[in-house]
Amino acid sequence: MTGADFEAEFEDGRFGRLAVVRLKPDQDLVEGIEAAAMEAGIAYGVVRAAVGSLVDAALGYGEAEDASIVTVEGPGIEILTLAGELRPDENGQARALLQGTISDADAKVYGGTFLRGANPICITLELVLQEWVPEAS
Amino acid sequence: MRQLKHPGAGTEPRRIVQPREAGGSLRLKLSEGADLLTGLTEALVRRGITDAGLQLLAGAFSEMQYLTGQPDESGQRLATYGAPTTLPGPVRLVGGNGILGRDAAGKPLLHCHAVVVDREGRVHGGHLPPNVCKLGPAGVTALVTVIDGAGFQVSYDAETNYDIFQPTGEQAA
Repeated sequence: MTGADFEAEFEDGRFGRLAVVRLKPDQDLVEGIEAAAMEAGIAYGVVRAAVGSLVDAALGYGEAEDASIVTVEGPGIEILTLAGELRPDENGQARALLQGTISDADAKVYGGTFLRGANPICITLELVLQEWVPEAS
Repeated sequence: MRQLKHPGAGTEPRRIVQPREAGGSLRLKLSEGADLLTGLTEALVRRGITDAGLQLLAGAFSEMQYLTGQPDESGQRLATYGAPTTLPGPVRLVGGNGILGRDAAGKPLLHCHAVVVDREGRVHGGHLPPNVCKLGPAGVTALVTVIDGAGFQVSYDAETNYDIFQPTGEQAA
């Protein structure tokens, strides 16, 4: 035990339905996944697998006044890993928080949080999204 | 957001969404000596699974290759793959995602991207081709999300001028 003062928040639940998704070129990665989830009736969800590419990429790192953005110019940026979840906002709209890694044409790898409205799909995004069903408290 | 012109016209809808029932989750471990893509595909097909999403959780390669994207100077496509980069082992897997679906003829096909770290500690990543990513002593461990019914199948996409995975309209395989 560390004795540190912190809170732990658990949410009981189970996995639900799947959505099999393709985003076509020029859709924003974050907004496109949110729209796909809503179309599938999924407000709470988890990315189970995703493979694709971006025209350009913008990833966030750091926090508060030290928060920064790395931008990478493509086209042909490969999305190497994508992880994250969707949760509904106060209006019930699915909002995605997505982290991952990408590589550029020089095979340099970058990581961070995919920024909304700044990660246009290049050729495709193939996605398997799974619903998360929280238990009613 | 920069938008570039593809060789073909875009078609609506701009996203394809197919709801499916979950077919369960499996942890899959492959041993040393297998090729990553063909090994995962063969193991899953033997189990009767042809449609799934994969998260690569851990693993290592005795040798491997990967491809990264770059602008296509020929103008036939917006982006293409460059020459493969070969890494001598041991290469450790950091993470990866895969989509198991079917090619245009209906045969199983795994599309996989991954991040790895080489024996000098340098991080690499890209598209992993079949038959060139040989697993080392640690093998590979994957979490498999099984799709109940059909998931993705390859078809020609005139907009991008690529044969790529598309969600199929079928409800069951």
